[in-house]
Amino acid sequence: MNKIITSFHTLLLLIIFFSLIFSIFSMPKLKVSKNESIKINFYEMSELSKPSRKIVSNKKVTSIKKNKDSKDSKDSKDSKDSYTNSNNLSDLLNNSFLKKDIKNEISKIRLTKERKNIIKFSSIIQNKISSIWIKPNSLSETLSAKVLIRLAPSGEILDFELEEPSSNKSFNESILTAMSKIFFFEEIAGADRKVFETNFRNFKLVFKSSGEIR
Amino acid sequence: MKRFFLILILIISNNIFSILEIEIIKGSDNLSKIAFVPFAVNEGLELSQGENLAKLIESNMLLFGEFENLDKAEMLAFPSLEEDFFYRDWKIQGVDFSVIGKINSVNILGNLNISYTLFNINRRIKVLEGEIIGSENNIDGIAKIISNRIYEKITGLKGIFDTKLAYVINSDSDTYQMCISDIDGKNERILFTSKSPIMSPDWSPDRKKIAYVSFENGIAEIFIQDLKTGERDSIQALGMTNSAPVWSPNGKSLALVVSFSGNPDIFLYSIASKSLSRLTNHYAIDTEPSWSPDSKKIIFTSDRSGSPQLYEINTSSKRQKRLTRDGTYNARGRYFPDGKSIFFVHGNNGNFQIATKKLSSRFIQTLTSTSLDESPTISPNGNVIIYATKKGSKGYLGGITLNGKSRFSLPVKNGSVREPAWSPLVNK
Amino acid sequence: MEPIGIFILAMLCQVYSCAANVSDSVEQMSYASVAGEEYLQGDAVEVGLDDKVYFDFDKASLDAEDKMLLEQYLPFIKKAKVVRLEGHCDERGTREYNLALGERRALEVRDFLIVKGIKGKKIRVVSFGEEKPIKNSSNEMSWAENRRVEISLY
Repeated sequence: MNKIITSFHTLLLLIIFFSLIFSIFSMPKLKVSKNESIKINFYEMSELSKPSRKIVSNKKVTSIKKNKDSKDSKDSKDSKDSYTNSNNLSDLLNNSFLKKDIKNEISKIRLTKERKNIIKFSSIIQNKISSIWIKPNSLSETLSAKVLIRLAPSGEILDFELEEPSSNKSFNESILTAMSKIFFFEEIAGADRKVFETNFRNFKLVFKSSGEIR
Repeated sequence: MKRFFLILILIISNNIFSILEIEIIKGSDNLSKIAFVPFAVNEGLELSQGENLAKLIESNMLLFGEFENLDKAEMLAFPSLEEDFFYRDWKIQGVDFSVIGKINSVNILGNLNISYTLFNINRRIKVLEGEIIGSENNIDGIAKIISNRIYEKITGLKGIFDTKLAYVINSDSDTYQMCISDIDGKNERILFTSKSPIMSPDWSPDRKKIAYVSFENGIAEIFIQDLKTGERDSIQALGMTNSAPVWSPNGKSLALVVSFSGNPDIFLYSIASKSLSRLTNHYAIDTEPSWSPDSKKIIFTSDRSGSPQLYEINTSSKRQKRLTRDGTYNARGRYFPDGKSIFFVHGNNGNFQIATKKLSSRFIQTLTSTSLDESPTISPNGNVIIYATKKGSKGYLGGITLNGKSRFSLPVKNGSVREPAWSPLVNK
Repeated sequence: MEPIGIFILAMLCQVYSCAANVSDSVEQMSYASVAGEEYLQGDAVEVGLDDKVYFDFDKASLDAEDKMLLEQYLPFIKKAKVVRLEGHCDERGTREYNLALGERRALEVRDFLIVKGIKGKKIRVVSFGEEKPIKNSSNEMSWAENRRVEISLY
């Protein structure tokens, strides 16, 4: 009898363990990208003041939500296209985001203080990297590379690693060069302990080139 | 019970696994800064030779405005060997790359052995090291080879400092000259001088010949000139007007325009058999052909819609496709070396500017901001466009890098310069 | 003429057209070969009329004023051996397209003359595109002057 209980326990544990593994891999990720980060405020405002226009405005927030990976890649593709044609950026953003059915996603968004902090620090990091990253003249390729960064609570970069390099050598080189120019994100030192531990202790930078000409 | 706690802790810590991802799309507008340290020389050579070589490499690298340099006067040290090189000396000057080197004289005949090293200051690594043997008299050529290697290492693109440019000069005395020069404007050579207009130069893929149009006999006639012998051959295309010759990528035929009785169409001309075959047949103007890099398609200008627009035709199936729709003037299209985009002259509110378009998208992106820009030509590595434009009544050549960071103009010539044509790379 | 001579002539014509690989016989009729431009060696005939017809941007059509001028030319053209029509454009737009456009303009004049009874044989058409402007400055006035067909009689 005791044996049965033990094996039952083990089985239960195994099931829980696998579901845990599964949950880790299917864990939604937070993404912040340049174009959309501005739109968040717009969304917040419009949601509060004009609930009837929610559907139009919420399209712009898709990529800051904690949504599934696949959705994310779609979004970033759209934002890439619009980036290429900066003249029609706003038009395109509206159109492409409109096309998506994300009604259900609205309910999931909770604009907590924590989230605002994440966005604030993310855009600080984003601007800092953007100001030192000298993009190579890679022309018509669409490239993407991920860098994993480990930070100390002081904002010091403990180490970084080109986790998912792109297929273009000079694109990778340019990222490594940019990363070796920076040692600190001082502003992070002011972050809330919990915000830091859950988001900025380890985070990733996704470097992208949409293959735009110029 | 213990196990349950463990699981609970695992579930809580799960949060940590959701890693924040921050997207970086925009890069800096800054240029990489490079220090070109004067090369050291061994006994028997002049110090100025080392200085001169570093200067030549520097002026090559700065030619298209893609980099900044560190002034010699600001350098804290002049190392020539790796063991004397300290990254911090350059880091504090904001330098991204440093080039050092040494010239050794091999023998009294003037043969030199030149070693050079390139450092990435930010990453604190040596990225390139090389040695080259050459003659004292060819220091220009040596500098070009070294510049090419450095450029390739830093940008990942093919170096183009040993390419050439063909162009037409209309000097003040109403003479027309067909010229070629190095890409930096040096070593200019006049191929042909005429009292009548010269047009549309185009390099053969092996860089040995140039095709162009000359009016020397009263009508537009196509000539092929051999650069080595200077020999000129007229293509007897038999038309009233023969124009716009462009070499096919394999160099075996030309696409050109023949107007027999006032209806210009695109034809293929086989150089071996001297025969013409028709490609387009339309009562509208069809002109300005250019080959796709895979030589399967030809882009051309046609006013069949009422205004000049770009079309492409498949050379085997003869299927045609309209490429541009926006605007009332899109003409003289050329493909990028990767074949995925085109660049052309775009008329917009009375201004004529150089524009690009991806074949997969409908958007036209204007690159230049002057109003009479024409005849764009692209570097073989697809990174720089040189075009003809006008200031007052004088034509000059302007240029732009495709990342939009740099604009430049080529040295002013004695006369109006027009119709630049960038040569292919040497060993293609 | 001897039948043999005619045969050889016919053969030569055959070889000639083969070399050009052009099947369209209409096209062959009106080409102006380089050899046909010898008349250029002689001096042009002065007739004391404005020798230019002007056009709008990217257009090749004649207006009433142009037609009136050409009417005045007719008697002189009838006397002349060769009429040379030179089409020109302004500097705007691309060079090769302008070369074709200049040709269009000269052909428009030729067609008008043919309608008025001038033999197509003695009309020579050539285009210089934007290569030979009268005025070199970049403004409406100069452009209007440069968009022209020049008529010269030999």
